[in-house]
Amino acid sequence: MHILGVNLPDSHLARFALTNFYGIGHKTAHRLCARLQVHDKCKVKDLSPFQVTALASFLSSPATSPTLPRYPLATPDYVPPSPNTPAQELQARFAAIRAKRVENRARRGTDPIVYKDTLKDIKVESELRREIRENIAHQRMIGSYVGRRHAMHLPVRGQNTQSNAKTARKLNQMDRY
Amino acid sequence: MRPTLQLLKSGRSAWKGPYFVAFPNLRDALTNHVPIKTQARSCTILPNFVGIRFMVHNGKDYMPVNVTQDMVGHKLGEFAHTKKRFTYKATKK
Repeated sequence: MHILGVNLPDSHLARFALTNFYGIGHKTAHRLCARLQVHDKCKVKDLSPFQVTALASFLSSPATSPTLPRYPLATPDYVPPSPNTPAQELQARFAAIRAKRVENRARRGTDPIVYKDTLKDIKVESELRREIRENIAHQRMIGSYVGRRHAMHLPVRGQNTQSNAKTARKLNQMDRY
Repeated sequence: MRPTLQLLKSGRSAWKGPYFVAFPNLRDALTNHVPIKTQARSCTILPNFVGIRFMVHNGKDYMPVNVTQDMVGHKLGEFAHTKKRFTYKATKK
């Protein structure tokens, strides 16, 4: 399956397939799956269309997209609706639960503590590459030691150069990404 | 990077505050554009240093460093290179 230009192999578990995005590692992938209510053992081919569109729209720009809602965990005796139920019925059920939650909150009257949603701080793909390029360019512009080492294709963090600097010689550039 | 990021990433605990040297001729340098000669390479560049011209020691000479707003969280020694650029010259034998 292709999401946002990245190919996620259908047979892989969704939780690990999400790490194929540049900027998403195992921790963020697991958090995203939890937020989208994707099971740990769910494969990419078993993702529902709703989940795929929610994932694609969120990852296209995490900072500006609307917050993904945090649903409570299901009780042990919860029976999920069968896959053949029409979308209208699912939406009606969800609206009923949400109305009850809103009514309870209004009755309680307390101001809940609003926690910052750290999932919105993640940067993916082109945004992350742009930030890295800007950081390297900034270091070069101010004329610092770090900028100079990037320009010379040498290690930046004090590694040995008498031997073993092969990765730095290959990858440390001004236009790294 | 933004200056606040550089200050946070400095390795020094935040509760101690940044390490800096109180230069006595700071105000004079700002008004008369007199360069400040210093061997304090580990001094963090503070916002009130912006616009001052420093002559930072690199072991042998003093190198000129014009402080700009982008340099604020870095140290003075980052801009005074201590080693000559490596050039390979094949020795004739």
